[in-house]
Amino acid sequence: MMTKDKDIGLEAYFEAGRAATPVPSADLIGRIMADAQAQMAPAIAPTETSAPRPGLFASLIEAIGGWPTLAGMATAGIVGVWVGFSQPAGLDMVAEQLLGAEDARYLVDLLPAFSADFEEG
Amino acid sequence: MPFDAMSDTPDEALLVLYANGDFAAAQALMLRLTPRVLGYATRLLNDHAEAEDVAQDAMMRLWKVAPEWRQGEAKVSTWLYRVVSNLCTDRLRKRRTVALESVAEPEDGRASVVQGMIEQERAVALDAALATLPERQRQAVVLRHLEGATNPEIAQVLEISVEAVESLTARGKRALTVALADRRKDLGYHDDQG
Repeated sequence: MMTKDKDIGLEAYFEAGRAATPVPSADLIGRIMADAQAQMAPAIAPTETSAPRPGLFASLIEAIGGWPTLAGMATAGIVGVWVGFSQPAGLDMVAEQLLGAEDARYLVDLLPAFSADFEEG
Repeated sequence: MPFDAMSDTPDEALLVLYANGDFAAAQALMLRLTPRVLGYATRLLNDHAEAEDVAQDAMMRLWKVAPEWRQGEAKVSTWLYRVVSNLCTDRLRKRRTVALESVAEPEDGRASVVQGMIEQERAVALDAALATLPERQRQAVVLRHLEGATNPEIAQVLEISVEAVESLTARGKRALTVALADRRKDLGYHDDQG
């Protein structure tokens, strides 16, 4: 049977053992913290999706391709209006080349009767 | 929560903070728990590199369980000791029983010093003697006498009754005394030294 003296002797070993507890290496600490960071990532994701929802106008702009597309559409519209008001000189030539001179003139002079009425007053 | 303010925060609260996205809480938990986990694993495995792997694995399981942790059910340290016990048991099953003679001797020959054992030698002798104990006795003795766990805590870790813990610890200490006495004889010490 174990005597009291022997038990006290064992305590000296335990004391030495407690004093010699291994210290985690920097590498181990780094690995554990990397794991903690990696496991935390999915928990952060929902906060990103909770950003304010875009409004109807913003959604429409987004649907047609965003602001660059909108700017292109506006430019095309302005050019169309300008072409409509001031017929570019080159347009006759292009029409003649494609359709022939007579057809082109016919196409351009849409309302000759109106023109005559206008001259006669 | 600032890192400095976490020194008095319980483990369980830190784990919940971490689960809510507080990385500083993970750092505080890591600094507090890793030395204990590593110390316990080292004593069970007697292999520092393998014990580091077990420590990392156990902490990884803690990070994973954090979102589902229910406060008040178990202490984080008790839960971790149980995880480490199981991981070490798995590893020990995969290798042969380590003979006392094969455990690392003091490398620099200080074992030949006759006038008493210095602290480091005692620690080495203890580790070698612990390695000769049956696994459950070793777990109980290490938790009780080196990790400072109470008998009810050890009962939770090993999933046995408190009476069984007391029995395991008593038998473990008896076996340890015998193993250390044998080692002292092998090293040429006499009973009245050290």
